[in-house]
Amino acid sequence: MSTDDLTQDLTQRTENAPQELLTRSFFFLCAVLSIVTTLSIIVLLTTEAAKFFSVTAPLMGVEGPTASVVDFLTGTEWVINNEQFGVLPLVSATLAITIGSAVVSLPLGVATAIYLSEYATPRARSLLKPALEVLAGVPTVVYGFFAVVYITPALKTIIPNLGTFNMLSASIVVGIMIIPMVASISEDAMSAVPDSLRQAGYGMGATKFDVSVGIVVPASLSGIFSSFILALSRAIGETMAVTVAAGSQANLLNPLNPAAYLEGALPMTAAMVNLLTGDITGGGIAYRSLFAIGLTLFVITLVMNIISDLVAQRYREEY
Amino acid sequence: MATERGTIESFGHVSRTAGTVFRYLLLAATLFGIVALTVLLIYVANDAIRPLTADPGWHLTFLLTLVLPTLAVGAYLFRTDPPSFRFGGAIVGTLAVSTMFAGGVAMLFVDIVEPITWFAYVLALCLALGGVVVVERLDRRLPFLVRFVAAGVIVLVSLLIVPGAVTSLPVYPSDGVLLTLSVGAPIALVVGRYVAAAEGRRRRFAAVAATLVVVGLGAFVGPLVGVTPVPATVVLAVAVVPTGGYAIGQVRRNPERRAGLGLAGVILGGTVVGAVAVDALGFAGPQSWVDWGFLTSAHSGTAADAGLYPAIGGSILLMVTVAALSFPLGVGAAVYLEEYAPDNRLTRFIDVNISNLAGVPSVVYGLLGLGVFVTYLGQSTGTVLIGGATLALLILPIVIISAREALRSVPDSMRQASYGMGATRWQTIKNVVLPRAFPGILTGTILALGRAIGETAPLIMIGAPNVLFSLPTELSSKVSAMPLQVYAWASLFASEPFYQAAVPAGVVVLLIVLLSMNSIAIVLRNKYQSDQ
Repeated sequence: MSTDDLTQDLTQRTENAPQELLTRSFFFLCAVLSIVTTLSIIVLLTTEAAKFFSVTAPLMGVEGPTASVVDFLTGTEWVINNEQFGVLPLVSATLAITIGSAVVSLPLGVATAIYLSEYATPRARSLLKPALEVLAGVPTVVYGFFAVVYITPALKTIIPNLGTFNMLSASIVVGIMIIPMVASISEDAMSAVPDSLRQAGYGMGATKFDVSVGIVVPASLSGIFSSFILALSRAIGETMAVTVAAGSQANLLNPLNPAAYLEGALPMTAAMVNLLTGDITGGGIAYRSLFAIGLTLFVITLVMNIISDLVAQRYREEY
Repeated sequence: MATERGTIESFGHVSRTAGTVFRYLLLAATLFGIVALTVLLIYVANDAIRPLTADPGWHLTFLLTLVLPTLAVGAYLFRTDPPSFRFGGAIVGTLAVSTMFAGGVAMLFVDIVEPITWFAYVLALCLALGGVVVVERLDRRLPFLVRFVAAGVIVLVSLLIVPGAVTSLPVYPSDGVLLTLSVGAPIALVVGRYVAAAEGRRRRFAAVAATLVVVGLGAFVGPLVGVTPVPATVVLAVAVVPTGGYAIGQVRRNPERRAGLGLAGVILGGTVVGAVAVDALGFAGPQSWVDWGFLTSAHSGTAADAGLYPAIGGSILLMVTVAALSFPLGVGAAVYLEEYAPDNRLTRFIDVNISNLAGVPSVVYGLLGLGVFVTYLGQSTGTVLIGGATLALLILPIVIISAREALRSVPDSMRQASYGMGATRWQTIKNVVLPRAFPGILTGTILALGRAIGETAPLIMIGAPNVLFSLPTELSSKVSAMPLQVYAWASLFASEPFYQAAVPAGVVVLLIVLLSMNSIAIVLRNKYQSDQ
């Protein structure tokens, strides 16, 4: 007999009193607002993006210039003034930021999680966790400023041909920014590993190192992976740091080539901000291209969030 | 090394070196981000405040009057009496944070809301609440719906009629008196509540009267030290009274901690003595970019004259709007999901949906604001209202998630006890669950508000202006915000002077505001956790 059933019995008669109904429906409306938000995001992005593409624009009753879906998805030039809307350069820059920040944040984040969950004393934890929260709490525009004014000049002393605006320092700050996310979610997963597993390991003569790497990490692998995916989705959606630090020149780069990180590029989010800070008029093709990129971004992050959820649920070790 | 690495395969070879190295590698990784950020913060603070441009004599004076005494007293207390040490630190921290807060409130009354308007609305609100209380007293005699409608009518009538009537009066008291009544009185009532809880009802009236007198004195004492009545009254009401009340209350409850007062006295006294001495001896302070001029002037084409004032005011107004929108909606949704929702498909869908919304990039929320509020609802771009609404939608999932955690931490036995006394569900939520979960909800909301204050991208998307020369005065005027101004300086006015002067100064102010919000939240949370 769960307590919920008990509650039901005790409150049934008063449930339909006007006061109860009123408060209940207010709370329900608040909860439904989140669905309304999601729906309006989806509807807005799809209708506005539909006005952008030449295939769907006639259906929406839009006159004027449009872009073809194929050109949008495969075009290698992003020049607003020439109405060249190829999204590939933007996607490649976003991908570069994602990979670069992953190189920084994933190892550091997991190491932090292992330290916090397995090694740190309660006192050290109580100091380190708020400090890590501060890392995530610094506004992203500030990180962008740090990248341009302090990190890039510092890196220039090592790599002389680094551009003023470059992907390297942008990736580094985005990486630092998402360390706390990787660390806190992974740490939750590691703390959820039952102590009996650790005790068993020690009983077999394993050292703390063996237990951490050989038992705790494998047992919490699904949580660690889901933290990776969530953090990378955050890196993809990261806006101000890359807008300030990565430059505004859209060029197609190869994210797997380290030399490409020495120059600037224009990730999707930065392209959106640039579109708006330039003079675009409401309803023009540039305005609608904004929603096309927004839709791309939304779909990518949504899919990643869902995958992260699935990984966390499907592959969770049950104890 | 590599041969010594003890894994499961090489069972039996236990290596202490590998374990130690691993441990320190982990520690280094943990500290990497923190140390990197600290170094960057030191750099930016140095660029903004420029402590090295001060006279050596200036540093020496403050070293003698402030730093050495504080270190000596602090070290002594820290070793002999840690609770007093923490108490002294808490007083200084409270004073610093509340003074900053008071600065923001004073700004509201100087430039945004006339004290008489504010007074009129406070009066209207009091009348409305009084009316509702009277109606509620008739509890058993009237059915709920009648009471509800009557209360609604009273609230509407007093809110619609009273402010207009009061502001159109031909003569009214001075600003100092108005603020004493409309800002000081509510604070005095709060102080009275605490005193009543701690020392009984008889002391309560003395405390309320004392608070009102202290706040009322501001209008007379302020001009003597060169502060106009409005800010003086506000600073007394919002900063001095709460800090003093906290200090007095703690000392009365734990007399053994009064040594902490000494620490606070040394720090505050040292600051004042140092400032007077520096002035008398003619030592020049640092040529900081974060100075009074920077905080109180608007943007300028030359970096050295550029200021943050409209952006600070905009951030304050946005914060108020965001809090007013997201707090009731977020807590409401959390209450529904935790207390009412049956375990069905809709609930699970809302659940998944909220966690997905928390992962949507902020720039997409900006697009939502642009598309829905500007294009479809035809609002003009970049106003306080749509900026606040967009940011509220952005932090709503975070508020909901943290409020749910706080509600979940209320033990079920308390709910059952309340039901057992015959309370209805809403009575249980109102009287048992929400009060108990409130500190947790507040912590989550403050953290989420900090996130909203730091956001730039959504504001750019809804067309907030990069440069604004005056404070927004109503919900429908254009708004700028601190991070937006920093972005404008860092990108649109990108040049060496701006990178060296205005941007670091803006970053420092923004970070001070955010860090103090975060620390309030963390202090609240620690207190809350240790209370349970």
